[in-house]
Amino acid sequence: MSGFFVQNVWLIPFLPLLGGLVAGLAARRFRFDAAIPVAAGVALAFLVSLGAWMSAGPETTVLVSKWISAGSLVVPLEFRVDGLTTLMLSMVTFVSTLVIVFASGYMHGDPGYPRFFALIGLFVFSMTGLVLSNNYLLTYAFWEGVGVCSYMLIGFWYTRPSAAAAAMKAFLVNRVGDVGFALAIFWLWSVVPNHDLSYQNVLSEGTLHGLSDTAKFWIPFLLFWAATAKSAQVPLYVWLPDAMEGPTPVSALIHAATMVTAGVYLIARSTPLVALAPEVQLLISIVGCTTALLAALIALTQTDLKRVMAYSTVSQLGYMFMALGAGVGSVARLAMVAAMFHLFTHAFFKALLFLASGSVMHAMGDVIDMRRFRGLRHRLPYTCGTFAVGALALAGVFPLAGFWSKDEILLALESAPHAAHEMHLSFGWVYSLIYWIAIFTAFLTAFYTFRAFFMTFWGPEKLPSPDDPEAPAVDPHADHGHGHGHDDHAHAGGHGGHHVGEESPPVMTFPLMILAGCAVVVGFLFGPTGFFEGHLEHTLGFEGLPEGHHAFSWATAIISTIAGLAGIALAYTLYAVPSPIPSRIAASIKPLYRASLDKFYIDELYHLTVMKLVQGLAAASRVFDVVVIDRLVEGVARTPRLAARDVLSKYQNGLIQFYAAASALSVAVLLLVLLFS
Amino acid sequence: MTDPFTIELLRNYLLVGAALFALGMLGFIARRNLIVMFLSAEMMLQGVALSLVAFGRYHGNWSGQIFTIVILTVAACEASIAMALVVVLYNRRSSLDVTLWQDVREAGVSTSDLADEAAEAAPIDDEAGVESYPHLTPAGVEPAHPIQPWTERRR
Repeated sequence: MSGFFVQNVWLIPFLPLLGGLVAGLAARRFRFDAAIPVAAGVALAFLVSLGAWMSAGPETTVLVSKWISAGSLVVPLEFRVDGLTTLMLSMVTFVSTLVIVFASGYMHGDPGYPRFFALIGLFVFSMTGLVLSNNYLLTYAFWEGVGVCSYMLIGFWYTRPSAAAAAMKAFLVNRVGDVGFALAIFWLWSVVPNHDLSYQNVLSEGTLHGLSDTAKFWIPFLLFWAATAKSAQVPLYVWLPDAMEGPTPVSALIHAATMVTAGVYLIARSTPLVALAPEVQLLISIVGCTTALLAALIALTQTDLKRVMAYSTVSQLGYMFMALGAGVGSVARLAMVAAMFHLFTHAFFKALLFLASGSVMHAMGDVIDMRRFRGLRHRLPYTCGTFAVGALALAGVFPLAGFWSKDEILLALESAPHAAHEMHLSFGWVYSLIYWIAIFTAFLTAFYTFRAFFMTFWGPEKLPSPDDPEAPAVDPHADHGHGHGHDDHAHAGGHGGHHVGEESPPVMTFPLMILAGCAVVVGFLFGPTGFFEGHLEHTLGFEGLPEGHHAFSWATAIISTIAGLAGIALAYTLYAVPSPIPSRIAASIKPLYRASLDKFYIDELYHLTVMKLVQGLAAASRVFDVVVIDRLVEGVARTPRLAARDVLSKYQNGLIQFYAAASALSVAVLLLVLLFS
Repeated sequence: MTDPFTIELLRNYLLVGAALFALGMLGFIARRNLIVMFLSAEMMLQGVALSLVAFGRYHGNWSGQIFTIVILTVAACEASIAMALVVVLYNRRSSLDVTLWQDVREAGVSTSDLADEAAEAAPIDDEAGVESYPHLTPAGVEPAHPIQPWTERRR
């Protein structure tokens, strides 16, 4: 029976694709709900994933068909069913199913409803294909597919200039990362035996030993470069906060739970390769740490609920990279498991938090600015309750999911200096530093999450009204273009005003409750029971990773819990009831506050450097194009015209005899040339 | 095997072919009557065909013959189309003089209009009609010709 699921593992990408196609092509014509085929396809894919989960093995691969066969480049369409893959598949399809159910309520009445679900189906196809692929090139193809879907979904409301710009930004920043991936693949192709890019060949012991020192350093580096763009790490994280311009279910599915984890997956998949370069691992850890801290600091002052969640996502992805980078020497196995575990739990509670934010947004008539509403706990009881569970999980409170995974990451970071010392690496102390920064970030995480929670759900009740001083200036023309564009689209057809302030329909709260349940249980079900690590043992290359003995560290658990609880307590004192203290604090450290509110001017920095450079380059290219190339082409085009008008047209004089004589003479000349040359 | 078709014989054939071709070309260039020009062109074709047959015979294979048969077929088709065109052209200008069509040329190119000279030399019959038929050498009795739609239109 289990063999059946492995043999038919191609169904996992295929069913969502089929659902998406049916939704996109037939839903409008035959007037059925476009969410149904996609939800059904993804749910069935989830069942197949569960079946495949049972029979995952490190060497299980399924050859589906040929893909590329050109000389020495032979790339089959081959799927791999090992621990890591089935883990990702189950998580992706499960979260996707719930998000699709939620979206069928959230997107109700949108004119682009079938298009939305067609794109979601296409996205799940790409994402599942990405994790199933058994070689780097196929992964790369799906990697691009995921990027395209992300682009189209961020720009779903493409009539809004801000959404179009955000989509473009996400796409371009991801391109920068894709260059790294492409270079890594080229390099791998040229060095691995038989030019075989499949994982079992690239990650085999023999291949890894045969790599030159340069390749050992640069290939992991290039892979990490690719991961920074997809998984929103410094310096390429800038697209993710802007991606919140898309519909909220998209943010929940793609920019929190699934797509952004592709980079983590790639590095985790390539763990045996990355483990060859401790310097790159240190770099990964430092970048992850920087990202986690920076994003957490920005999230402290944001007033847009979705943006807080976006920066929180960036921050948590930074956590995962911290863990991946900590896998030096004997910590390798623990680090990879910790990163994947955090990825796994994070997917649940972050999707939950995003969907709950979407539910708030839905109920508030698409107002998402936390200064414009307050005390919603009575009006939105389910949303409030589930959001609280998600926030507790994110803050890492025992015994929720975030606690266990964050603890494993901290454990890996704690063990890393020792392991680095064993390997005679001189930079072990950096990991100790990162460990403390990570704990500080955990404190910040708890603080900003609960700041958002208290600002939204606590205190005296207040609903958004146009008279609010914080409301954007009412301009009847600009209004629909920017701030309320969502309202305009999502609730066209009588879903506007009368829903404001009411709890979302069950189709939206139900997925929230399921996700909240998962956020509570996945931590202790999978973590301390060893079930998660046991499953990951069925992963390619996992056996080769050194297994150190790492006991559960009480100190770390207690310190991180204290940090989390301190953050919650601080947020409670400052924000549970409206008080002037936060603004007074903000005024006392005004430069820092401004810097955080303005995202440390990273966007402006990009504008000043990269954007200006590229725009200058583009302007120069344009001038060159107009002045040189266009002139050249026009000159070439003008030559025949001049030649025809001034020279040749004189000979078309209408005299047949002249033509005949000219032809005869020409032939005669040609013959003479042929004879005497 | 003794082949009676020697190179000298081939030369004679080629000479005849070349003569046909040259005469045809001369006629094509020198004459202004459309039908005569067409006949000249056919003569050039026959000169070439003759050369092909001769070469085929000399080399002892059939390709020259086959090629010639194809040429003849094509020439027949071409002749029917060309004659149809000649009739149309004649109906337009009531004359077979090719120089009357000299205005079919690139606009703005000035050449001495030979048609004008021709018109001066022999003015076109004003009363164009059934009577004005090509002035070929009369041979036999002129047939009775019924009035055709195109002549109808021309009146």
